[in-house]
Amino acid sequence: MGDWFDEYATDGFHDEVVAADGEVRPHYRRMVDALGALSPEDLARAERRRTAAFRTQGITFTVYGDDEDDPGAGIERTFPMDLVPRVIPSDEWAHLERGLVQRVTALNRFLDDLYVGGMQIVNDGVVPRWLVLSSDGFTPEAFGVPVPMGARCLVAGIDVIRDDRGEYRVLEDNLRSPSGVSYVIENRAALTRVLPQLFAGERVRRVDGYGRKLLDALRRASPPSGGESPTVVVLTPGIYNSAYFEHVFLATQMGIELVEGRDLVVDDHVVYMRTTAGLKRVDVIYRRIDDRFLDPVVFRADSTLGVPGLMSAARAGNVTIANAVGNGVADDKAVYAYVPEMIRYYLGEEPILPNVPTYLLWDEEQRAEVLARLPELVVKPVAEAGGYGLMIGPQATEAEIEAARRGIEADPRNYIAQEVVQLSRHPALVGDHFEGRHVDLRPFVLSGEKVEVLPGGLTRVAMRKGSLIVNSSQGGGSKDTWVLAPEPSSPAGADESPDAEADERDGADADDELLDIEPATGTVDVTVVGSAAAGSSGRGGGS
Amino acid sequence: MLARTAEYLFWSGRYLERAESTARQLDVTYHRLLEVTPAEEADAWSDVLVAVGLEDDYVATGYPRSAAPVSEFLVMGPANRGSIVASVAQARDNARGVREHLAMELWEALNTLHLNLGARDLSYDLAMQPFELYGFVRSGIQGVIGCATETWSREDAWRFFMLGLLLERAEMSVRTLRVRHPRHQPDAVHEWSATLRSASALQAYRRQYRGYRPAAMVELLLLSPTLPRSVLFSLRFAEEILGSLSDRPTGSRSVALRLLGRVRAELEFADAAELVAGDLDEVLTVVESQIRDVASAVAAECFSYRVELDLHSLALLPGEPLIPGAVATGQVATT
Repeated sequence: MGDWFDEYATDGFHDEVVAADGEVRPHYRRMVDALGALSPEDLARAERRRTAAFRTQGITFTVYGDDEDDPGAGIERTFPMDLVPRVIPSDEWAHLERGLVQRVTALNRFLDDLYVGGMQIVNDGVVPRWLVLSSDGFTPEAFGVPVPMGARCLVAGIDVIRDDRGEYRVLEDNLRSPSGVSYVIENRAALTRVLPQLFAGERVRRVDGYGRKLLDALRRASPPSGGESPTVVVLTPGIYNSAYFEHVFLATQMGIELVEGRDLVVDDHVVYMRTTAGLKRVDVIYRRIDDRFLDPVVFRADSTLGVPGLMSAARAGNVTIANAVGNGVADDKAVYAYVPEMIRYYLGEEPILPNVPTYLLWDEEQRAEVLARLPELVVKPVAEAGGYGLMIGPQATEAEIEAARRGIEADPRNYIAQEVVQLSRHPALVGDHFEGRHVDLRPFVLSGEKVEVLPGGLTRVAMRKGSLIVNSSQGGGSKDTWVLAPEPSSPAGADESPDAEADERDGADADDELLDIEPATGTVDVTVVGSAAAGSSGRGGGS
Repeated sequence: MLARTAEYLFWSGRYLERAESTARQLDVTYHRLLEVTPAEEADAWSDVLVAVGLEDDYVATGYPRSAAPVSEFLVMGPANRGSIVASVAQARDNARGVREHLAMELWEALNTLHLNLGARDLSYDLAMQPFELYGFVRSGIQGVIGCATETWSREDAWRFFMLGLLLERAEMSVRTLRVRHPRHQPDAVHEWSATLRSASALQAYRRQYRGYRPAAMVELLLLSPTLPRSVLFSLRFAEEILGSLSDRPTGSRSVALRLLGRVRAELEFADAAELVAGDLDEVLTVVESQIRDVASAVAAECFSYRVELDLHSLALLPGEPLIPGAVATGQVATT
């Protein structure tokens, strides 16, 4: 290998590539060898090619200034990508996959229980009633609105981190409109073009089957009136939304219409879209608009993004809205603390992936302890996403700590406190060398007849030295994420992909077939196929 | 296809064509005026402003009709929503709003043009190298349209894009001929050739005709079935596209198709010598408004779909226009 890692310091963190004894972990050895043949200038050039290509293709997300009156004031930016991929070996992935399927299964059951199941879990005293009722995400308007197969979290993005001992833990559940999946696919497409030599000899599982799987899941969620080939659309808040590119990307991948609220109309509890040839009935809406903007009749009356009457159509069972309305209650950060209990309650299983230790501040004892230890803890508002409003004790100023203290004392239900988890680090290119940067992982989980996980997910990187915040809206970057297939010699079993079976059944070419790339010769220009914004800043969409 | 998508594509095509035509007009006018008198210069810039349909907007600014202020107004003027920079930006924004319907290469070409135009120092270009700037705009837009021709599947998305482009082109060509026709005096050779150059028609003219004759000009620029920028050529192509839209009424049941067929047929069977002998200005004014009416009818039929018609099957009275007023007055936003 080259001298990339001669001076690399892990600084006592769990490092994804270099073990505590300074040795490169086995599943990174082949890639580290491949990197050894490259100079810093090679990598920097590849990164410039990638950024230029994303810019040309308009693979951007929008960052907003303070001018709320002028949505056009947003600036289009490309999402930074670090070119050294993250590698997850097959046995680790199998563990993660089982844990994610378990967790999302329980969350779907929980939401169905709340809205159409009579709240058994509350009646049995497992989750406090007042906690559910006081959650911003709890939506009485969703009572009695059916969701086929109970797939309320049709697409979930579960944020996973690794602590200082290398254990995977769930940090947050994003069950409303998680974004970033387009980057998973675009990052892969870009990396195969700018650094194909890294893939030589590796057994990387593909990620590009997502569009087909999402469309299948959406079609299966259609009400019976949709018949054999239901009409599915993607509903976007529009061109000024930070994740607009992702909305385009998904509509393109699935080959379906991307609609705005004004393109839809409800008559007699049936949803139609306005086309050049008249009105066409719509059966399933994959919406990327927040609940409160969805239907001005039921929610915010001043919303122009939504469709008047949409909720009545859903209640009548004439259209499926995915993800379901009211999911916000389950990604409330205080309700999060009860997810392990939900898993035990609904599934009778022990949680495979633990939470991060969390303190509930309405409990006087816990609150007193937290207030005494504020400079060591993380404090989060329960209903925010995208890293907004976060207070990280060890990095906060006195004033910020005091502000958090006042916030907690004024409204303890509105915050949680967590131990600072030392997120694992991964080498990232900084100038002409590697430095460790903190990373997390957002895998994407699809629900339907079964729950399945896209291999890998979006690895987000805190690009600023020492920072623990990875959100794209807060200056984070991303990495391509490789899930390795098991070695052919290893016995078939635990981590054999559940998809393989489905793909055979469909007679389609397997999404998980291995990425087989010839070693590169010379430079390769980037031509990627469309993509969008990760991250979570608002404008009525994204979570 | 969504009505909104169709509308975005239509306007994307229109804006692109507008930017290209504006660049052509500026290029030709700027360079030929380096050798004329100030009076001729003011007339020539008036012609450009009329041809691109922005004379009133320009008069409102109060600037003189000379090279620097007119060029700046048409290239980048902040008060001008029809400037080259604004047109390219709007073409690109419209395309971004429906990019799932665009051929990928077309989107990249258009986005690159927009980014590169934004990265230029336009004041410097106008002062030092206008020829280079106009060439850049023209070849950039031709690259985009080339991508459309070579890579875009011939579906309704492509049809609406081309329809907008062709109607804009036809309208611009009619206005150009109308304002330039009186300048085509027997001894003003540079005026003739300027008009022909702005339509990329100089060589075609030289091959086909000897000497400069007004009837020949009209025959080529208005009635030629082979010159891509002639009015008849654009309208024929537009009619073919409008007639092939899927799930649309055909023949006389579509108001847009009927109006387009009528103006196309009038030109199809017109005689250049007769037109020149009569009141050409009047004829061209009528043709221009007929082309606008076609665009209004397309908008009424395809973009602003009236929900009530479909939901409650409102019976139209015989003779009642589909959209009251739209067809009769020919009012359609041109910027």
